[in-house]
Amino acid sequence: MATKSGNATALTVLSPIKNGNLGETSFADITRERCLRLPIHEESPLAKVPNTYLARLFILDNVFYESLPANDSVFNFSDITSIFSDSARKKALPRKDTLKSKYLVFSSNFHGDLDTYLTGVWEKWSYIDHEGTQRDVRHIWEHCVAFDRVTDASSFIAYIKRCQLDASLFFNGSTDDSLQEQLKSLYLKQEFTKFAVEHQGKSASEIQQDFKAFIARVQPENLEGPTWQAGKSTP
Amino acid sequence: MSNIAGKAYAMNVITPIRWYTTWTNKLFFKAALLIPETLKGLLTLSLIHYARWVIIPRDGFPRLDPSQPKEELHYAYMLFFSNFNGSWDQYVDSFTFAIPSGLDLFWKWNIRYPKSVPLTPFHDYIRHNQIDTAHYYNAYPMAASNDVKSAQKVKKALIDFNAKSSDKSADDFLKDYHMLLNNLQHDFGDMKPTPIVSLSSYEVKKRYEQTKA
Repeated sequence: MATKSGNATALTVLSPIKNGNLGETSFADITRERCLRLPIHEESPLAKVPNTYLARLFILDNVFYESLPANDSVFNFSDITSIFSDSARKKALPRKDTLKSKYLVFSSNFHGDLDTYLTGVWEKWSYIDHEGTQRDVRHIWEHCVAFDRVTDASSFIAYIKRCQLDASLFFNGSTDDSLQEQLKSLYLKQEFTKFAVEHQGKSASEIQQDFKAFIARVQPENLEGPTWQAGKSTP
Repeated sequence: MSNIAGKAYAMNVITPIRWYTTWTNKLFFKAALLIPETLKGLLTLSLIHYARWVIIPRDGFPRLDPSQPKEELHYAYMLFFSNFNGSWDQYVDSFTFAIPSGLDLFWKWNIRYPKSVPLTPFHDYIRHNQIDTAHYYNAYPMAASNDVKSAQKVKKALIDFNAKSSDKSADDFLKDYHMLLNNLQHDFGDMKPTPIVSLSSYEVKKRYEQTKA
């Protein structure tokens, strides 16, 4: 399935947002504001969801009308009808589509299988919002169609699967290691680079001695730590 | 809006495609999956963490309840999501210069797709169909895709070296150590926050500092 690339998975979710307002604000705009106000980097609720490599949220308000010129040799051939009449010319234009719902789009690239990942989203997604209130994942999906029937991890998983779209092609230009493995590797790369620079020109016995102390400190095979924190944005 | 998270940029593009020609795109995607060499250009670019193409049939938008109005669309839609390093221009231009024909196959017969060459109409097309991201999360904002890949090599080499060489005599240890450094020359690097390359990354930084305050 194109949604997987080795152990990496591409999750694409389009959750329809209820049409309607709360006061003077549409449910779509409330949802958008909640997404915009999520804390970022290591404070993001996604930093707490195990194995999330990269993920995003946005609102699909509508689709675009293709008003730009192009050079599609087959289909724009119909433009030639413009020499006959204006109405034929107008008919050769692209059709206009309008969505009847707005959609909350959640796209995630993660390690592992979908059910385990979504259980992590349900259980671990938490943050304190700009008003100081503790929030979980329900705060983002609250105004989506039929989300009021979601009550636990299994109904959340079932809900997301109903909103899920398969990828036709998932390109992995990185690795498909677990996030813990990736973060530990980045930590080691950073630390060993420093070690190599600091030990230039030193004697063999000094480097060897310091290397042993270095290995004892960084514990290369211990994924639990020391390591980078997910979302870490400063050295 | 936050299309940027550290060194990664989130691109979302949605484009219409005639429902009866989507099979050709699916065929090209399938071929790309079956013959990995077709994606060599993308791998060589080496600036993408993860990217995907999703085709939504015109009756394929999720409908979860009878109370939700049914979409009535003329076209199917193709979604493209990418997580890449560098600026928007660098990314779009590198596509045009590195893999123009492959790109044209993936977007084949999308409505009014101008082809990836020349550059300006292609820029206009992407900009016209791009949607900004509201929240973007990156597990390693200080690392580029190449850092993640090279870190994997560093970890393996370090563990192997430690097992084989750490208890050798000091002179033999040094010989192996120099060999290790030589082999990892391309994989070292001090990772730091991304430099401010645009006003948008400046805004993201400012917002982050406000939330930390």
